Amino acid sequence: MNRYLSRRDFLLKTGISVAAANLVLGVPGLGFASQAETPRKKRMVVIFSPNGVIPKHFWPDEEGKDFQLKRILEPLADYKDKMLTLHGINNRIKGDGDGHMRGIGCLLTGIELFPGDVQGGSDTPAGWSMGISVDQHLRNQLQADPATQTRFGSLEFGVMVPDRADTWTRMSYAGANQPVAPIDNPYQMFDKLYGQARNKELLASVLDNLSDDFRKVEQMISSEDRRLLQDHLAMVREVEKELQTELSRKSDVASVGHAVPELPPNVEEQNENIPQISRMQMDMMVNSFVADFARIATFQITNSVGQPRMKWLGIEEGHHELSHEPDSNEDAYEKLIKINTWYSEQVAYLAKRLAETPEPGGQGSLLDNTTIIWTNELGKGNSHTRDNIPFIMVGGGLDFEMGRSLKFGGVPHNRLLMSICEGMGHPVPSFGNTDFCGDGVLTGLS
Amino acid sequence: MNKTHNFRHGCVWTLCTVVAWMHTIPCIVADEAALQETPAEPPTQHSVLLERGATIYREQCASCHGDQGQGVDGLYKDRLVGDDTTGELTKLITTTMPKDEADQCVGEDAKAVAEFIHYSFYSDAAQIRNRPPRIGLARLTANQLRQSIADLYAHFDGIVGPTRDRGVKAIYFNGHRWKNEEKKIERVDPVIDFDFGRESPGEGIDAKSFYIYWEGGLKADVTGRYEIIVRSTCSFVMDFGKIGRQFFDNHVQSGDKTEFRQTVTLTAGRVYPFKIDFIQRERKTELPPAVVSLSWIPPRGVEEIIPTRQLIPYSPQATFSLQTTLPPDDRSYGYERGIAISREWDDSTTAAALEFADIAVAELWPRYQRIHKKDANENRAQLRSFLAEVVETAFRISLNDDPGDKELRQRHVDQQVDTTPDDAEAIRRVVLLALKSPRFLYPLADQTQPQSHRAANRLALVMFDSLPSDEWLQKLARQDKLKTEEQIKSAAYRMVSDYRTQAKTLALMHAWLNLDHLHDINKDQQQFPGFNDELEHDLRTSLNAFIEDTIWSDASDFRQLLLAERSYTTDRIAEFYGDAWKAESDEGPRLRMTGADGTARLGLLNHPFLMSGLAYHDSTSPIHRGVFLIRYMLGRTLRPPAEAFTPLSPDLHPDLTTRERVALQTSPEGCQVCHLKINGLGFALENYDAVGRFRTKEHSKNIDSAGRYADRSGAEVSFSGAAELARFLAESDDAHRSFVNRAFQHFVKQPPAAYGTDTLEKLTKKFRESGYNIRELIVQIAAVAAKIDNEPTTP
Repeated sequence: MNRYLSRRDFLLKTGISVAAANLVLGVPGLGFASQAETPRKKRMVVIFSPNGVIPKHFWPDEEGKDFQLKRILEPLADYKDKMLTLHGINNRIKGDGDGHMRGIGCLLTGIELFPGDVQGGSDTPAGWSMGISVDQHLRNQLQADPATQTRFGSLEFGVMVPDRADTWTRMSYAGANQPVAPIDNPYQMFDKLYGQARNKELLASVLDNLSDDFRKVEQMISSEDRRLLQDHLAMVREVEKELQTELSRKSDVASVGHAVPELPPNVEEQNENIPQISRMQMDMMVNSFVADFARIATFQITNSVGQPRMKWLGIEEGHHELSHEPDSNEDAYEKLIKINTWYSEQVAYLAKRLAETPEPGGQGSLLDNTTIIWTNELGKGNSHTRDNIPFIMVGGGLDFEMGRSLKFGGVPHNRLLMSICEGMGHPVPSFGNTDFCGDGVLTGLS
Repeated sequence: MNKTHNFRHGCVWTLCTVVAWMHTIPCIVADEAALQETPAEPPTQHSVLLERGATIYREQCASCHGDQGQGVDGLYKDRLVGDDTTGELTKLITTTMPKDEADQCVGEDAKAVAEFIHYSFYSDAAQIRNRPPRIGLARLTANQLRQSIADLYAHFDGIVGPTRDRGVKAIYFNGHRWKNEEKKIERVDPVIDFDFGRESPGEGIDAKSFYIYWEGGLKADVTGRYEIIVRSTCSFVMDFGKIGRQFFDNHVQSGDKTEFRQTVTLTAGRVYPFKIDFIQRERKTELPPAVVSLSWIPPRGVEEIIPTRQLIPYSPQATFSLQTTLPPDDRSYGYERGIAISREWDDSTTAAALEFADIAVAELWPRYQRIHKKDANENRAQLRSFLAEVVETAFRISLNDDPGDKELRQRHVDQQVDTTPDDAEAIRRVVLLALKSPRFLYPLADQTQPQSHRAANRLALVMFDSLPSDEWLQKLARQDKLKTEEQIKSAAYRMVSDYRTQAKTLALMHAWLNLDHLHDINKDQQQFPGFNDELEHDLRTSLNAFIEDTIWSDASDFRQLLLAERSYTTDRIAEFYGDAWKAESDEGPRLRMTGADGTARLGLLNHPFLMSGLAYHDSTSPIHRGVFLIRYMLGRTLRPPAEAFTPLSPDLHPDLTTRERVALQTSPEGCQVCHLKINGLGFALENYDAVGRFRTKEHSKNIDSAGRYADRSGAEVSFSGAAELARFLAESDDAHRSFVNRAFQHFVKQPPAAYGTDTLEKLTKKFRESGYNIRELIVQIAAVAAKIDNEPTTP
């Protein structure tokens, strides 16, 4: 799966040098998050995988510190002591929309969907969510404070999200009726993160040719007209000099600084490339944390009702289709375990990358200051239940006491959303539909 | 909204200074029209006079004005240039010069000085003689850059020709998707503005489940920021600029989110394809009423349903409009010139190139690959051909096999492609290098090109502010068929009706009428209740439509701009201005023709938009109107007043009419030098009040609209009222010459004399002979500017 080309090939392909890419990387003086002594950075990542899990092979039986990981969570074994499993949290939001729509649309917003015209396989049609999602809410909080402000605030990654905007494909909301589209093309994400720098590099690399051109054209025009052209060439020279200084200064920083993610070229957005795209996106996420581009990220693998065909696991059927099979269909049951285990591996990969990356200018690793929250729109695929929504946390961003299996016995997930806000240092009296917030944040997390 | 025009702030009279507005109007200095006035060789008698004048000038004038009239800092710093006749100068000198000692230089002495300065440096002829205009190199102006990039895109997909068809193509389906057997209605809708409620939109269509497909082209007449607004209670998706380029995605109808807005920069003279898929989906829950509309806020306008006039009922070729902001150009000569290099400008050309590169990667290259998929592709030959075509079009050349072209192709295409295996990156490199190159940015640096290429280059530059991108024009250049005047004119005739030329012509009219300074017209709400932004918008739309119709009618008669009795109106205009502005018919689009009711409608001259703009918020301003007429209509030079004046407040002189008040304030000798000319013209429009309504009385006194004008030759004309003024202007040599001069400068962006000292006279003569045909004038101007006589030089 890892057919990464060499760093040099990558740089050749994108025409960007380390120097240029680092123009916007963690370089002091950009006016973003201050370099001075500040409280530790806290980060949160929400990873979404679709269509419910197989609870029996997902949730630990035990409660407390002493628990065994089941098959699906096995890939996370290395991070068991940095992990929380949160069983017994229910998405109670009713109203318009089918189970999948409310599953994803209310997951991070904790509030109903508007009436609308998108009709699912059951229930009533619906539109977008009536409220902001917790990731965007926290983003706004962080951006409002110069001490926690970053270049983007939040980044929304996707993997093979269908190219249509509807209730099933959007998890993040900037506000009522304002879905945020995840970027699922890694090259587009690269452009967003490093495009400005790449353009400077590109300009610097053609300026030589350009000067030649000026000299040639100068010979073609009368001496009276040359002054304008000479002024212009002088301007080109000035830009060239400026870029050279800038690029060489930045490459000094780069030699001790941060690596730019190495994207393999020409990875098309196709089902078969899901594993590769997933890694490319995660690598860029890690890099953007190192550069402090954002402290909030979402990572949406396909969509609610997603149909990835995991041929690399020997599974030809689409995930959603399989998820409707009864538990008695042993073949489907086994495949669903494998599919969810693969999602678990993705979470583990991100945890690993974060764990092995030191916190720039801080203590420990990125993982020590980042909490990954892996979740799903359904508790179980074939019942479409939104009880016992999978919530697995890894990492130390939220200051929770990790290394435990928790069982809440059926509380509204709004309370978890409130806990997340509190964990990030921005407590709220309620989140989403206040009817479900009366009992306050979840107890026993910290 | 910004209020940029000082005098219209004028809630308080004392805040308004005359000098403030005077300075907002560019002075047209180099008008070589007067060249004919002065004989090439002064006669002997004349030279005696000149010598006498020179002596007196040295002794009495030069200390303040400089030995060549160039001015002296701290004393009188302005250059002595202008278009007064020697007679007028003599009078001026006699009465005012030398300063504070006016009796020192009178009679024959004053006449001699007048003759001397007029001949030596003051007159247009003298200026041309002293410093003959030449065709100066200039970089692309902001507008030329914008247009050139739009045409570079258009080169690959073509461009829509002018059409009289208007409206939007509509196909109505029963059921929520496109199904040919369920197609119930196909028609042209004049606008998109429907409230179907919960009813069926047509026979055979289920009210609960239907689909309407709209497709059309949106015509933008001026460049600027447009806000596009769709209001829809149902699911809809809109593409804009190109079918496939999504603009609004409301695939999901959600709650009460029914308004969708996006602002976009549109480039004038282009038609933007769009389509809307509007879907009422059957649902278990209550069905909302189906309401949909397509509106816009055009630059300086207010929100309105996009009018039929701007819609074409089929989707034209894809269009690209640059979104990068470009800094404004020098306008010190009254027309835009690319003569300054700044960092801001250089950066903006980089941003523009990168923006175009992105669209080339996303749209042009995939399209090219589809069309050329059968071509050989060894060593990325397809990519190289595509990029060569980009470079050829951007540089306005044909790449051949000669060594120079090979080298150019090597540097601009192959070397860049070989640098990177990634196609997108190669395209970015080539586009950046090409669009930053002087070969693109300096269209007149083309001396090494064959005659026909240079002619095509100039035709596109003059007519479209752009580069030759149309296949037929490029072909004529390649075949070397743009050498003779006939060949060039025949191409120009083909180009003159193009929407790009139409847009450039509309911009000419706006410059000629100085309309850029007339926006945000505020009027005293007690005196003129109902004069609001909406009315102003309608008036502007009416004026533009009138201009467009007049110029693109068969006669294309300049005089009709000043004489036509019919115009365009809306119900809102009729409500404010009364029956004279009632539409001919009650039915039809919002903007409809008024009747020729025989009252005093005189084309644009007394159009309420112009009259309102050239007035204060509560009273008329004969000075503004006079300055406008003398500078813009008659093309004469005026100096700013020597010091700033605050207009007299009407409250202090309640018994005086505006005319009397202006006459009183401008009565001093020093004022009269200019105000004799200004007032004489402005007073003739006194029958039109501050909002352009006809009046016969002011404060129970009868309006006196008698006026006068002394033309370039010194001949005196008098008239009474707007109708006589209009007839005078329509037949005035000064007005014709001024219009031709302005048109030439606007289209060519060079002074006419740079193409021969008699260019302006020749063109004005042809203009007259053609029955003042504006279209014909544009063709003649293009022919002058595009005719290349010399062979290409070798570098």
